[in-house]
Amino acid sequence: MSTPTRFFRITLLRSAIGLPTRTSGVLKALGLHRRLKTVYHPVTQDVAGQVFAVKELVDVQEVDRALSDKEMKQLRQPDSGFYVERRAGERVMGS
Amino acid sequence: MLSRNVKRALLDSRWPLPPTFLLPWAATLTTVSHATEASNIPPPLVNAGQHVSPERLERRHDQTSSDTPSAASILKPANTSTPPPALSESVRTLLPVLAAQGPHYITAHLYDRPYLLTAGDTVRLPFHMKNVEPGDVLRLNRASVLGSREYTLKAAAATPALKSPSMSSSLALDDTTGSLESHSMVMSEPGLSSSGSRIMPPHFVPHIAAGKVSYLDERLFVCRAVVMGVESEPLRVKEKTKRRQRKIKKVKSKHRYTILRVKEVRVRSLEDIEGGREE
Repeated sequence: MSTPTRFFRITLLRSAIGLPTRTSGVLKALGLHRRLKTVYHPVTQDVAGQVFAVKELVDVQEVDRALSDKEMKQLRQPDSGFYVERRAGERVMGS
Repeated sequence: MLSRNVKRALLDSRWPLPPTFLLPWAATLTTVSHATEASNIPPPLVNAGQHVSPERLERRHDQTSSDTPSAASILKPANTSTPPPALSESVRTLLPVLAAQGPHYITAHLYDRPYLLTAGDTVRLPFHMKNVEPGDVLRLNRASVLGSREYTLKAAAATPALKSPSMSSSLALDDTTGSLESHSMVMSEPGLSSSGSRIMPPHFVPHIAAGKVSYLDERLFVCRAVVMGVESEPLRVKEKTKRRQRKIKKVKSKHRYTILRVKEVRVRSLEDIEGGREE
């Protein structure tokens, strides 16, 4: 089986509460269990059909590489906003 | 583990500023969508790595080293030979005016949370800062607003968008011009979101992009704080139980919080900034 070259990047933007069971079934099959969750699926006719079934609820993008959960988590980490310039007890630079 | 040792060695080093290749590039990250490249062409991956901060890169590189080698190429640090973005005209004319009117305040961001600070403030952070000892001097390098009594320097506003560029059709404007409003003059600093560094993340990330702040150029200011110590809250006991259930589980909480004291908040002079003098 060849590795897929293109992926769908699917993010759930609207909840399926109150929608027919079939719709939430499709989301479960795609792996979208909560709002704003993002999953990657290879570009195939099957997945395209699944996305089409829930097209009003999701945001879709076509990308070349699927990010893993760890990579996505690291993307979410904010900048610390600081760095340690001088440790306690060190001499001041230059003076 | 390697990344922790390397990071520790670099943090302990005697450089006043981290070396250029380690200066964070996350400040170039914006959520502005670009309609021109929004059509069906996916965001280019070649430039994708430039938005990633190298500190995060080290951790990421080690963790994903077992993944495909393309991961490292995508998340490579920025090309160090590119010159820093030039200051805009409004900044060049008004920065000395701002600098002359002390005292100054700054909205510094720690882990993307804003703190409005001025020299002499004592800040009780809502978290325990790891790997710092009392007496360590921190340099705060992420700020969104820097101001004095009558002048304010802000970074250009980034529009948060929930939909990826391929789905939305609206064009978000990047550049904002400083507008004079009543008695306070606002200098807008388009530096980091200017045309020179419009780099999209490898994939548009809707929920991460929402609410993101854009930061000022780090070269414009100096903000230092000292770690004073750690404070802890009074002991809290949470009782967990259900109705008609006699068993009560007690959970203790006694969180610790780091206290910082802001040593200085200073606007740098144009000569220092353009001369590239590090401090």
